[in-house]
Amino acid sequence: MALYTGIAAGDGATWDHLLQNRLVPYTITTLLTLLIAGIIMLGFAVPAAWVISQYDFPGRGFFSWALILPPAMPGYVRAYAWADLMGAAGPLQAHLRDLTGLSARDYWFPNLFSVPGLAFVLGSTLFPYVYITARAAFSMQSLATLEAARSLGARPLDLFWRVALPVALPAILGGLCLALMEAAADYGAADFLGIQTLGVGIVRSWQSYNEPNTAARLALMLVLIAGSLLIAARLYQGRKGVQQTSSRWLVPRRARLSRPIAMITTALCTLILLICFIAPIGRLLWLAQETNARSIDLWPLLRATLALGVMGAGAAFIAAFIFTLAAKRSQVLRMLTRLIAAAGYAAPGAVLGLGALFILRETGQALAGPIAITFLIWVYISRFTSAGVEPLQATLDRLPKNLDSAAQSLGSKGLRQFLRLDLPLLAPGAFAAGLILFVEILKELPATLMLRPFGWDTLAVKAHAYATDERLAQATLPSLLIVGAGLLPVLLLSWRLGATERS
Amino acid sequence: MTSIHPLIADQVSRSFGKVMAVRDASLTLNPGEITTLIGSSGSGKTTFLRLLAGMERPDRGQILSGDTVLASATRHVPIEKRKIGLVFQDFALFPNMTVLQNVMFGLRHLPKAERVRVADSWIEQLGLTHRRDAFPHHLSGGEQQRTAIARALAPNPVAILLDEPFSGLDPSMRDRVREAALGAIRSAQAPALLVTHDASEALIHSDTIAVIDQGAILQSGTPETVYRQPRSLAVARALGPVHKIETGQLPPDWRTVINPKSETLWYRPEAILLGNGQDFTVQASKLAGPVTELRLRISDAKDIHAVCQSAGSIRPEEIVKATVDPALFFEFAPEST
Repeated sequence: MALYTGIAAGDGATWDHLLQNRLVPYTITTLLTLLIAGIIMLGFAVPAAWVISQYDFPGRGFFSWALILPPAMPGYVRAYAWADLMGAAGPLQAHLRDLTGLSARDYWFPNLFSVPGLAFVLGSTLFPYVYITARAAFSMQSLATLEAARSLGARPLDLFWRVALPVALPAILGGLCLALMEAAADYGAADFLGIQTLGVGIVRSWQSYNEPNTAARLALMLVLIAGSLLIAARLYQGRKGVQQTSSRWLVPRRARLSRPIAMITTALCTLILLICFIAPIGRLLWLAQETNARSIDLWPLLRATLALGVMGAGAAFIAAFIFTLAAKRSQVLRMLTRLIAAAGYAAPGAVLGLGALFILRETGQALAGPIAITFLIWVYISRFTSAGVEPLQATLDRLPKNLDSAAQSLGSKGLRQFLRLDLPLLAPGAFAAGLILFVEILKELPATLMLRPFGWDTLAVKAHAYATDERLAQATLPSLLIVGAGLLPVLLLSWRLGATERS
Repeated sequence: MTSIHPLIADQVSRSFGKVMAVRDASLTLNPGEITTLIGSSGSGKTTFLRLLAGMERPDRGQILSGDTVLASATRHVPIEKRKIGLVFQDFALFPNMTVLQNVMFGLRHLPKAERVRVADSWIEQLGLTHRRDAFPHHLSGGEQQRTAIARALAPNPVAILLDEPFSGLDPSMRDRVREAALGAIRSAQAPALLVTHDASEALIHSDTIAVIDQGAILQSGTPETVYRQPRSLAVARALGPVHKIETGQLPPDWRTVINPKSETLWYRPEAILLGNGQDFTVQASKLAGPVTELRLRISDAKDIHAVCQSAGSIRPEEIVKATVDPALFFEFAPEST
């Protein structure tokens, strides 16, 4: 991974005028998008997490898991759906005109093809990362602390601003940084909406303008942004030690909200879910139904997607498994694997794709056939291994520390211990890891777009191609398939979260 | 200064599903006094405290501060309006605030300078002046608990409720923290309820002890009364060891002194006074710190439990003389055993 960025950055030594002119605007656009997206994510996630962890209201149980569904729909798919919903001919504007009798020129309507529009799309996709960390932080707070605050006269809003939020803030900001890192890695939504972010700039500089130096500089800047966000996230997460956790009264005793307030709360949660998930997916389903979406030939797409998904997930899974077991054996290896996995995690797909292209060019290889696929899978491994390490590591961390010693004292070691102990114990985590890896690869767009050999269009690549060609109807079916697959790991996660809350 | 109203629970009940956690409990907490609620885990003592604090609503009964109804069938003053101070076993300090900020938390109605002044005076009273600007995670357990007590007392609460406040502390510092804390609470003149399962803590530090078992308050009174005149076996057991003996097995002289009316008696081990009286053989002796626990053979196969001071050890097979203190022999109605 370090090699990748090194090559990407090391190529071409001069800052020419053109380059400087591009780098600054791209960077500003990216940062502005991240800023607005961050505000949107906090606005959706923190209030929702607070009411769901503290109060009882109609639908609480449903929202508590339904609000983590949005990432199932990748940003680029959500962008297609909202573009259709909000377009001049779309249902929102049509209804507005019917209601008011105005014509299209008489009123202002928010434009999705803008920086705030992109921020809205990314924010509504990724806010659940913040929601999950915020909810965990609020639930972990000592209930006694909140009750002590109330006994000292703090009203519900005081409780939130003065007690709960300051304590939960590091965890929330940690989640926010990770979500923003994902947002920075976006290519599909920005490209579709025509926003010149760094991710878009990298791909265009390489493909359209044939300016590898520019691409490399942009990639370096993007890695810098994503890396700082990752480091910031880790720093915030490290500050959890300040939080007091109470062993007593952890049984959640949620206060019941008065009727009008409960109704408003339910309505607001419904609105968030509607905006972030139901409306765009509903529109896609409607489009698929209304237009003859079945006319496109899905078979080659499915075949390519499955083949790349299975190969990539298999390879990344093996890497993740080796990493996890190595980390279990030694502290140094543990640090090292974490570092490598983190570097890959922070590197956006477009950057890794660019790195692979540089290597191919340096070695004089053509981007074709098995070589392209090998490089693509290499990129998948680099980018997603950490996503696979996490569930495995979590499973491992739950096991008693002395288990290994106990097994060794009973005469078990080496391969025998691996087969009899490690493998069965890691099975549940391994299942989750495999699923997550497969779906992540299936959704991956920029690297696949840059590296795929001829005839290897995946669902994501084709959906994006149709959508940017303004053939939205054809894009719906592949998009829906991606969302369907994306739902699986999200549902698994929400089921797990529900289980921790129930126990 | 502080309100001088008592805090009163009148026939309060609370169920969770089919479990009746508190049943018809009545208790009056008087200003300037420390009332201890003692019971085993699951006896309903914490629920009772939560009812007083307003964290739970009673199903039946009333909670009053003087004449003001805090909770009844029709009324429920929420916790944030009750002005009742709370102290928890795990301290529950605000981790993002210093000691001073924690203590100032409940003083928002005062101007800033006044807030600092009031908070500082409580910090000083609890001996925390040198830790005034420290954050909770830099404090020892005892310092954290003293901060929590200063925080609860600073807004002049109408009552202060302490839920096992000292049981989370290291035994070596527990006594010192308890002295400082209870001294401050007494000087605040507010009614105080100390919930505990520690009998010696209850006996040494309270003005009134109430014994709770299966959600019901069985008896309340001065430590002396509750210890020496328990109304039921459960009350007697809550405050210290008691042993059972059949009247027929007592030596005739002792029977005359005790003059029992029932077949079965219960006694505290210190009811057996060593030094004078009849001779008995020591069957077993066990050193338990300042006292030694003894078993004396009183009839063919029956032993009686006694304690004596550990100074000068007594070994098995030795002969000792013993009489009884009839006041520490109890007779209970059969249904209360």
